[in-house]
Amino acid sequence: MKRSALLSLLLALVLAFGVFGLAGCAAEEPAEEPATEEPAGEEPAAELPAGVQEIADSGKLRVGVKADVPNFGLQDAATGEFEGMEIDLAYALAERMGLSRDDVVFEAVTAKTRGPLLDNGQLDVVIATFTIKPERLEQWNFTDPYYQDEVGLLVKKSAGIESLADLDGKVIGVAQGATSRDAVQVEADKLGIKVEFLEFATYPEINAALESGRVDAFSVDKSILSGYLTDDSVILPDGFSPQDYGVASKLGTDELRDFINEMLAEMQENGDMDELLAKWNLG
Amino acid sequence: MTELFERIGFLQQGPFSVPRWEALFANIDLLWQGALVTLLVASLGLALALALGTLFGVMSSSHWKIARGFSRAYVEFYQNTPLLIQVFMIFNALPILFTGMFIPVIAIGVLGVGMYHGAYIAEVVRAGIQSIGRGQLEAALSQGFGYIGAMRYIIIPQAMRVVLPPLTNQAVSLIKNTSVLAVIAGGDLMYAGDAFAGRFGHYGPTYIVVGLLYFVMCFPLARLARKLESRAKEA
Repeated sequence: MKRSALLSLLLALVLAFGVFGLAGCAAEEPAEEPATEEPAGEEPAAELPAGVQEIADSGKLRVGVKADVPNFGLQDAATGEFEGMEIDLAYALAERMGLSRDDVVFEAVTAKTRGPLLDNGQLDVVIATFTIKPERLEQWNFTDPYYQDEVGLLVKKSAGIESLADLDGKVIGVAQGATSRDAVQVEADKLGIKVEFLEFATYPEINAALESGRVDAFSVDKSILSGYLTDDSVILPDGFSPQDYGVASKLGTDELRDFINEMLAEMQENGDMDELLAKWNLG
Repeated sequence: MTELFERIGFLQQGPFSVPRWEALFANIDLLWQGALVTLLVASLGLALALALGTLFGVMSSSHWKIARGFSRAYVEFYQNTPLLIQVFMIFNALPILFTGMFIPVIAIGVLGVGMYHGAYIAEVVRAGIQSIGRGQLEAALSQGFGYIGAMRYIIIPQAMRVVLPPLTNQAVSLIKNTSVLAVIAGGDLMYAGDAFAGRFGHYGPTYIVVGLLYFVMCFPLARLARKLESRAKEA
């Protein structure tokens, strides 16, 4: 009896560490892969850096985008198509790599899933309202910012809340893995008020909690909030800690990052970026 | 030793690297708090599930038709809808339907897993009661016991032996199912893990430790179930 108990505990541990070990190996693998593979002279004109050529050769650009953020990345429920400013950026990137729009594979991500999906190699880049932060730079590669936003608060009109100061003792709904919690906390400390946070996995869940009165305010970047604005809710004038959105990729993919930076700089210069922002009401 | 560590790639960089483990253990209190909430919800939920399960299990083996029907409806409803939806509804829909009806998340957790597993336990109890020969009940009734008395003193004590191992298994899944609370910001172990992993990005070590903590809570119960099972066979 006792021996079999010990044995099964041991087995379970071995299994647990087996999974752990495998995950570790998987994370390591890409580093050992030979970075250069002869493109066999298929595309003579385009001279892409090796790290970018690798993706182009695969024939697919796998992009993590938001599926629930109007104007940035929104999946049409009827057609399943993604649309938004970040979707168009992904298309522009694909074209620059010599791929077509159809070669872009979109994967819906949340604040919680986008990092792991890059790390385990399921995505090439993430363009999903991903804020550039010092801690994050240690974990992923970020390009220069392509959009700047600030954290805001969405409340119900009926609540009579006019600024963050009115939220003393109230509950604020934020997204797991987002920067808004820290941003609001800093401001609340300055004002000397106490707020409580509830974290949810997706924006619609926070919105549902606001609707039901479970939270008093919904806090995330203002541009994202605007997608959830209704006739009986309002975005407060307060805005905190400007947030820079960047395109993220796995650590070590410096060539890819530089390649995207070149594209972004070019788009800023020739006016394409302004056009894109205007197209999605973000200018 | 350190040289050995330096040669293990995944400890140097990536989701499982040493600094991430250090960051987790510097903040391990967050996970402890979550584990405490999970234990609280699981133990209260289990008490509720046992009470409901016994009640409905006895009801469904009575010959009172209304009791049987009522019990059937309860069991079918809870067995055939996802716990996640039940919990999400109590959290968000109740306050809309009945303005201001805010049941605290811990209570939702207890109600959620309690009602859900109560339905499964009712089935376990019913099977247990039915495994005891009809003659036992008839003999008890003929000796002057009422239906409740016959159940309480004659049938249930005998059924206990059959019922205990599957009951323990229910307790194990109940503990694991408390993790649905994470969806409604319930402060449980899964939520604490999600929150920590999301905020700092150290998801690798976090989910391993969270998984281990669930394992530590469930494994002894699972062992107990095995033990009870072999004892039931011997008897």
